Formats: sequence, C-alpha cells, structure tokens
Amino acid sequence: MIKFGEGNLRVPRWSKRVFMVAGGCTPFRKYFPEYKLEELVMMAFKMMLEDNDLKLSPKQIKDSIQFAVYGEFADHFQDQLLCESKVHDYLGLDPLYNVGIKTGGATGGTSVLMGAQAIASGYANCCLVAGWERMDEVDTRTGNFYISTAACKDFETRMGRIYSSYYAPMANRFAWAYDLSEVTRAKVAVKNRGYAVMNPNAQQPGVHTVEEVLASRMSAYPLRFLECCAMTAGAASVLLCDEEMAYQLSDHPVEVFICGGSHTLRVADRRPMEIPLLPNETPGQYDALLKENPRWPGFESFLAARFAAWLCYRMAGIKDPLAELDLVELHDAFTISDIQTYGDIGLRPYGQEPDFIESGDAYFGGKCPANLSGGLLGTMHAVGATGIWQAAEVLWQIQGKYDQFHGDPKWWKRAGKKKPKQWTSLQVPNPRQGLWVSHAGVGSHVTVGILRKAW
Amino acid sequence: MAEIYEKAIRTKYVGKPLALYDEKPAWVVSWPRAVEHHHTYGLLTPFFKGLTEGKLMATKCTNPDCAEKGTVWLPPRADCPDCYQRMKWVKVKPEGKIYTFTMVDYAGIGVEMKTPYWQIDVQIPGVDTIFKGYLAQGKPEIGLPVKAEFRTKNPTHTILDIWWVPK
Repeated sequence: MIKFGEGNLRVPRWSKRVFMVAGGCTPFRKYFPEYKLEELVMMAFKMMLEDNDLKLSPKQIKDSIQFAVYGEFADHFQDQLLCESKVHDYLGLDPLYNVGIKTGGATGGTSVLMGAQAIASGYANCCLVAGWERMDEVDTRTGNFYISTAACKDFETRMGRIYSSYYAPMANRFAWAYDLSEVTRAKVAVKNRGYAVMNPNAQQPGVHTVEEVLASRMSAYPLRFLECCAMTAGAASVLLCDEEMAYQLSDHPVEVFICGGSHTLRVADRRPMEIPLLPNETPGQYDALLKENPRWPGFESFLAARFAAWLCYRMAGIKDPLAELDLVELHDAFTISDIQTYGDIGLRPYGQEPDFIESGDAYFGGKCPANLSGGLLGTMHAVGATGIWQAAEVLWQIQGKYDQFHGDPKWWKRAGKKKPKQWTSLQVPNPRQGLWVSHAGVGSHVTVGILRKAW
Repeated sequence: MAEIYEKAIRTKYVGKPLALYDEKPAWVVSWPRAVEHHHTYGLLTPFFKGLTEGKLMATKCTNPDCAEKGTVWLPPRADCPDCYQRMKWVKVKPEGKIYTFTMVDYAGIGVEMKTPYWQIDVQIPGVDTIFKGYLAQGKPEIGLPVKAEFRTKNPTHTILDIWWVPK
C-alpha cells in the first residue's frame, strides 16, 4: 500500500482501558542446558508472580487468569511444534484458552498487543503474556540461517543467509544519504553494552570503546560483530489487566497503549510514498530532504515503525515524543536499526537521527535515555521474549523499581554472577511514561507501545 | 490381511542412539535433522526459467483502472497488490545502478558463494522496486552502473542464476 484509505487511518481505541502490573524474565544466555524450555518460562512466570509486590498470592493470581498469549519466533529453533501447549500445561493453566503469536522479531510486542486486545475487548480481565526462544539447540551459523529464512526464501535468503547482510545495505545507504559516521554507530553499541553491565540478566555486558567496536570482526560490511545482537536462550512475561483487576493487584499499575505497523518483507518492494507525519512534524518539513533522496522510506527508514508510532501517539495523546517520553527501549538488534528508528518514532526529524546520540539525549541523564536495560546488543534477543522483556524493563522503570530488579544481589546470584563493583543505578528520576519498540526483520512488523504511570 | 492384528509381536529398536553430551547435572542429546522440501515457484516460474535463458522478467500491472497502473515489479509477483488483477510479464533490460550494497563476510550455514562477496541492491530504469543480487567482480559504490549476467549453463534453478558486473 502506498496510499492510505481514510479507513486505514482510523486510530485504534480500546473498549476498556488496559493496564500492566508485573513482569518477569530469566537470565539470558547463549547456552542454557540447565533448564528445558518450559522450565525457563516457569522461572520468568514465577518472578512475575512473586517479586512484583502484587497484592494477591501467586495462587490467587493463577485463579484470576482467563487467557494467555505466547510469543515464539520460530518453530525451527525449538524443533517442537506447539510449544505453547507444552508451556501452558507446564504453567498449570489448562483449560484456559491460549494462542501462539509469530511476527518475527516483533513477536514479543505483538504478543503484548494481542493480550491488550483480549483485555480491551472484555474477553479477559487478567491475561498472561509470555514469550521465549531457545536458540542454543543449533550452532550459530545454523541459527543465522534459520533466522534468514524469515527473509524471502526465493529472492533474499540465498544472498547472505544472515540478517546482518540485510541490514548492512541499509547502513551503507543511510550513511550515504544522511551523513552517519561509523563512530556514531559504534557509540550505540558502547552505550547499550555498557548499560548491560548493570543488568544481572545480561548476556553480553561490556565496557567497550568506539575503537574496540570498530576493530571487532566484520559480519556484513559495515556492521561489526559488536554492532550485532547475539543468539539467546531465555523467557519473559508480563501480566495485563483491566482497570479494576489492575488496582486489586497493584498499587502501581501502568496504562498500556500499543499499535502495530507492517511493510513488505523484502525491502526491494518498498515503493516510494508520502511520509505520514507525526504530531510534532509539519507539512512541507521534509520537502528538501525528499528532493535530494526521493525514495521514502527506501532503505533508510521503516514505514512499519512510522505507521505504528503514527497510530500509537494518537492513541495515547502524545504530541511531542522527545519532551513527553521519559525513556525508550528500542529494538537495537543492530546499531543501524536503532539509529534508523529515531527518525521513525520522531525522536529526531528524518535525516537528523545521528544527533539523538551525539546530543547526549539518548544517554542516562539525557532528555530521553534509550535502552537502559542494555537492549538487544547488551542484554538479550531471545526473539519471542524480547518485546515482552522490553516492556517489563519499561514497567519497572516507571514503577521506580530499576534497583529492585537490577541491584538486588539475589538476581545476580540467580544469574550465577557477582554484582559488579562499578554497579550504579540507572533509575530514571520519577518517570511518567516510556515507549518500547518491537521490530521484525528489516521492518516487516513493528509495534510501538507506551506505558504510562497510572497511580 | 486382518490376521496380523491377531498376532503377538516382539518389537525391535531400529533407530540410531543419540549422542550424549553430559552438561552435569543436565543431559543434552544430539538431535539430527535432515529434510528435503519440494518448493514450488508457482506463477513465478517464468522468472526463474527466464534466468536460465538469459532473460530478466518482471511483472507489470496493465489494468487501466488500477490506481498505480504501470507499476513494474522485480522481484515479480503474479497479482497486483493495488487492484488484485493478474499482471503481465515484461522483459527488462538487465542494466541499472547500485542503490546500496554490503560485503557478506560472516554468512549463515549453507552459503553458496565463497565469502567474502559483495551483495548489491540494483535500481533498474523502468522498474519500480530495487532488486537484490550480488556483484560477481569489482567493487561496488552507490550509483555505479552495472549489468547482469546469467547462469545459462548448469543453472542452479535459484535466484543465484543472475549476478551483476560493472558496466
């Protein structure tokens, strides 16, 4: 679709308000032989039930759930069809209905969207959303091939058999069009891997320099290994409720807004179109930019992310994202996709995305800190869990519980690690609302969600 | 025929035991998978057949009532997504300019080109999409003119039957 019909642009409206009250996750690792998949999901589920200061007991909450949404990227990785059924049984939730969601890298975000729809419609007033991936049954190159079958198998997969080779052309085109330096890209990796040092669950924490990032091995030019996320085994969950149940369960619920957008699986097929303008943009703003580089979204930007933000900002009444959002969790599977998204969600105008990093706005203490969780680069990308875990990290920030979930030695012990001496709190002071982006391969599916303090 | 169901049977294990990796305390076992899919190119068969004949075939919407009539698709698709009418095959002059590129260095398993190699996205005059391929020789840059070559002998019957070289 390159022109929208009026009906296509209807802004979603919940029939009932939707709230999130609790989150849980496992530690994230490359290899996790100690636990079976359903045992990992149980670990995240129990953390959600037991450690989020909920006012009902785990048994009472179990007795309150009516519906479950499960996110899993690829049956290939688990080598088990209908994992959802095994997990649901393991969590003791039969005969409640459950549904499995698959939208590539955006599976987690879409699972939250589907759970929110269950609440908003009244099907449920207490809904479990859980997701997982165990990418450790196969070696890394086989894993990369599996993931690359989410590109078009007829026209793209054989061209690289690894997703970095589908994002890297975007990086080269973006640098050509918008003057992005390798150093800015590397700074994203340094920032997010650095924040991961404070996260007990992080798979790839590290204090790196820009030079180290740029000297690391090349995956697909210009993307280096340290600019790419890794294969992860792990799980995450959140609990969604209607208004009444939310306050029954929690003194600190957050309200949920979330919308999605999609675009052709092949970047090749993205025909140029008009830019849908966000509330903080003005008609004509991009005339000069489009004169120089007329193929929007081209290889530079993501229509799916722009469309999801276009809907979600209207749904949540956001006029100026940079001023109104206190933090964001973006899908930094690659440094370049992180940077591309700054324009799509209006943290900077298109063409000025690198300034979000260079200005300091994206850092802790900046206007809108990004990926304080460590992101995908530093902490995890257990694909089906990712968008759910990101939501949990935003939830905990808004609830003022960053330290509770990242600083308490018990989580470091659970992860089999020692809390580092340099640990410092990354709690944003008094945040009111935060955003998270869940994103599938080269922007085929994207959700944009907003969590807002509701007490 | 039915008698077999009346018989007592002694059952033998005829499989292959799994290799065991003891990750104390958990056991991890090998789990081999070898499969072959029979994948159809369906209505796009003329495209793949065309490559083996040295032709680059695209599809074009010729429906005069289509809001986007005249759109030329490469990769081709049989049905127009704008008006849902069947499109027509057109032969495309296999020349264009590099729109963007990457060098594939670390590739996933099964990669069929020797790494590293240049993967390129080509903007072709008269085509509305940007076509992905690989550069068989030379060094890419954005805007570099390229032309296609075809694997007409010993074709792979895949998208790898076309590649690009500097023009």
